[in-house]
Amino acid sequence: MSLFWIVIRQLAEIEAMAMSKKVITREEWEKKLNDVKIRKEDMNKLVMNFLVTEGYVDAAEKFRMESGTEPDIDLATITDRMAVKKAVQCGNVEDAIEKVNDLNPEILDTNPQLFFHLQQQRLIELIRNGKVEEALEFAQEELAPRGEENQSFLEELERTVALLAFEDVSNCPVGDLLDISQRLKTASEVNAAILTSQSHEKDPKLPSLLKMLLWAQNQLDEKAAYPRINDLATATLEDPAI
Amino acid sequence: MPTTTASAVCTTVGNNILLRLTSGERDVKLKALRELKNQIIGNRTKKLSFLKLGAVPAVAGILSDAVSAVDVADNDENDRIVKDIIVQSAAVLGSFACGFEAGVRAVLDAGADILIQRGCLVEEMPLLKSYMEVVDAGARSLKMIYQSKMAPKYDFLQEENMEFLLSLLNNESENVSGLGASIISHSCKTSLEQKLLFDAGVLKRLTSLLGGSLIQRDASLESIATIFKNNPEVVSQFVGPDTGRTLSCIIEIVKDRFARTRLLASLCLIVIRNASPCYLQDVGIKTKLINNLLELLDDPGRVGDEASFAFSSLIAEKEDMQKLAFEVNGVDKLYNHLQKGSLHPRRFEGILLALADMCSKLECCRSRCLSLQVLKLVVDALAHDSSDVRSAACMCLRSVSRSIKNLSAGSFMNETIVIPLVRLLDDTSTAVQVAALGAISNIVVDFTTRRSTFIRLGGVKLLVQLSKSMDSTIRLNALRALRNLIFLAEDKCKEEIFMELTASLLASLICDPEPSVQEQALALVRNLVDGRINSVEYIFAEDGIILDAVGRQLRIASKAEIEIQGMYVLGNVATGKESHKEAVMDQLLLRAENKAQSCIIKFLQSNDSRLRTAAVWAVLNLTCSSSPGSSGRLVKLHDAGIVSHVKNMVNDPCLDVKVIYFSSLSGFLIVVLMVCLMTSRFSLVQLRVKTALEQFNSFDDSLASTSCLQFLTVRAVGELSHVVDPSSKEEESIANYFRFSMKKNKKKKSTRTVKFCFDVPADSL
Repeated sequence: MSLFWIVIRQLAEIEAMAMSKKVITREEWEKKLNDVKIRKEDMNKLVMNFLVTEGYVDAAEKFRMESGTEPDIDLATITDRMAVKKAVQCGNVEDAIEKVNDLNPEILDTNPQLFFHLQQQRLIELIRNGKVEEALEFAQEELAPRGEENQSFLEELERTVALLAFEDVSNCPVGDLLDISQRLKTASEVNAAILTSQSHEKDPKLPSLLKMLLWAQNQLDEKAAYPRINDLATATLEDPAI
Repeated sequence: MPTTTASAVCTTVGNNILLRLTSGERDVKLKALRELKNQIIGNRTKKLSFLKLGAVPAVAGILSDAVSAVDVADNDENDRIVKDIIVQSAAVLGSFACGFEAGVRAVLDAGADILIQRGCLVEEMPLLKSYMEVVDAGARSLKMIYQSKMAPKYDFLQEENMEFLLSLLNNESENVSGLGASIISHSCKTSLEQKLLFDAGVLKRLTSLLGGSLIQRDASLESIATIFKNNPEVVSQFVGPDTGRTLSCIIEIVKDRFARTRLLASLCLIVIRNASPCYLQDVGIKTKLINNLLELLDDPGRVGDEASFAFSSLIAEKEDMQKLAFEVNGVDKLYNHLQKGSLHPRRFEGILLALADMCSKLECCRSRCLSLQVLKLVVDALAHDSSDVRSAACMCLRSVSRSIKNLSAGSFMNETIVIPLVRLLDDTSTAVQVAALGAISNIVVDFTTRRSTFIRLGGVKLLVQLSKSMDSTIRLNALRALRNLIFLAEDKCKEEIFMELTASLLASLICDPEPSVQEQALALVRNLVDGRINSVEYIFAEDGIILDAVGRQLRIASKAEIEIQGMYVLGNVATGKESHKEAVMDQLLLRAENKAQSCIIKFLQSNDSRLRTAAVWAVLNLTCSSSPGSSGRLVKLHDAGIVSHVKNMVNDPCLDVKVIYFSSLSGFLIVVLMVCLMTSRFSLVQLRVKTALEQFNSFDDSLASTSCLQFLTVRAVGELSHVVDPSSKEEESIANYFRFSMKKNKKKKSTRTVKFCFDVPADSL
């Protein structure tokens, strides 16, 4: 009987050891943080990279003047790219297509998926503006042949055309296509394609860094209690729960 | 009908644009050009319809006019429009040529490529920004044209062409240098051209482009691969202080962020590897390449499709690479992709071919395939719409069915596999037929008695039909399949096959105009007459036309392989009855053109050990002491000078056959030992047997010789089962042989052991 209790007690101790994590106070933490050296130039580069990739030309230009950081691509090309992105975001897809073709006629010729999504967006805009007949004609003439070439295009096409079948478009199953988010998605796709054709990375580095931070914190959570950053926007340290 | 209305609308719009193109006013023209460009980019259907309306020659005409009207140095407004017209028309023509064969043809017919070159890419290119646009537009369009197979061949041998090419490569603009690289990738085919380009120092510039933009890097990788492809001489000249740098540069690019670049870099390294054995041989780089390609299979687009072909070129015919790929679960990964279903035909074909290569030499890969149930997917692919996929599926089956273990278990000879395969024998595509024949050739080597399934399903009829094909490749492969089918077949099977074939067909195939077809026909006959005495009768059908044909071929043939098969036929026939043996003697001696020199003497003296072996077998089967007429035959052979040659073979350097003559007053003791089917692997055995045989030769006493023989057989079997893979058919057949001879020895004191060798069609597997 006593042996039994000894075993139970030992088990409890082991469990307690496993449960108890190292606790780090805010003071200790901030001290450790202060010891890590980051260069200003690196941060500037990250900011510039973000501005350039997202297409904030004026901001990038100003930032260059004020900080002396050189952007890794020609700012002039950003203007063109931003014009395209803006056109899509406003729903002027035809205009966007013209601009892309002026910038680089190869992009849409060698990117069938992107081209299809742009055409699809045009269709959505026609439907949104109530131009039903025109929309049908457009779908038949421009999009149907694309659907014949590729099974996945056909499925997406059917989804889009389904918009015409519903009276109350905002509540139908394919209603998300009319959302602004759909425009943003297409705009982002075009932006990425242009960046790739210019040999630039299509994603800025900043989001990856933040993801890395969150992952590292999750890993550390298993071993220690420490001041966490829970709100990425403010990046304030919150005291560990003891 | 809606569709007609739509295309009618399109035509109206199209005609409208074309009308405006012919306008005299430049800005109207320019606007129309831009509209046309925006209509066709990305839209294959529109390209086709505008093509039909004659857009290409119209635009080419506009370009031509504009080029003559432009003044390069001028930068005023008027000229601006002309330059814009050039840019837009070049873009239109380039778009027509983009991935659209009919468009490329139309563009080339209109002479647009020359126009663009002359108009946009002159040697003295001023640095005006507006002109740079012209240059870029021209370079882009030409690059599109040169990506098509139909593009004109660039003549590197002409010095001015070479200079122009170099100027393109050295240009700063990525489109222009990209064009230069594209031209190389497209047009450089012969080794002379490769050498020319290499000597012109093109590689240096291409290497520097590796560090450039994406377009430059990709184009450069393709060009480098083109220059080195299948050209060991150029690769060997690659040695120098720059080599290591270029190679390590490319190796780095294998890890690039863009999938297409990774693929191109891998292809480049594979080309270098395959051309020259001294580069890129360490395990690290091999594993890296394999893993990279297997990973690229995940890419959903064209890169993923092409990755499997690259993988095949990496591992084909290379056992070490296949082993490495197997160790990193290559088979499983390929299978996972196969499983995904509704694959693009190109991707499907690529993965099937990759599996075929993986299983071509290694049993472990085949076993893994079979345990993963790959066969089911492969069999489904046999009925695919694309002929390339069907062909690839057959090749995969052929590789997997090289597994002797599974052949013996009869894993392949069932209706689910045989029915679709037999159907393919009737396929519209020749390539598919040939591939199906390859797979069937292996599957019919069945060690159980299930060949009747194949015959029942109409396989033989089709094979015989194909053996009469006009295409010699098909005849050849059909015969090979028949040869394997007949190998060790039961009497009833043989009869059915022979009835379908007929003696006259066989005789004519033996005399086929193609030597390789003759060889297969003879091998078929050899397998046909091998076996029981009744089988030998086949060769005498229809007044012995087959035997006559064999004899005739032997006398006139010049190719060793034909002579070997022919001799084995005669050797097999000589195991039959007296009349059979006499018929063989007839063929060898009486029909000889020059009676003093029978063809068999030539064979006995041949440099080819296989031929000597075959000839000796025939002699021995003719003179074995159990038949009454053998002494008579021996005398005849002796008179013809044949026997002395055979006697000399005691010291034959090839240890395939050791012949010992033991002559005594009462009879002969002839012992033939077939030690192994392939000389090289069993040298240890040969040494031991040779020693024993030499001792044997000195025995005068038949009893002692019998014991010696017993000793030899036991030793030999023991050695062989140690050396040979226990699952192989060879070992089984050799063991059978020796058991047979041991049994005979126990019965009689003086024995002769005769066995004709049957053909394990190892080469066709």
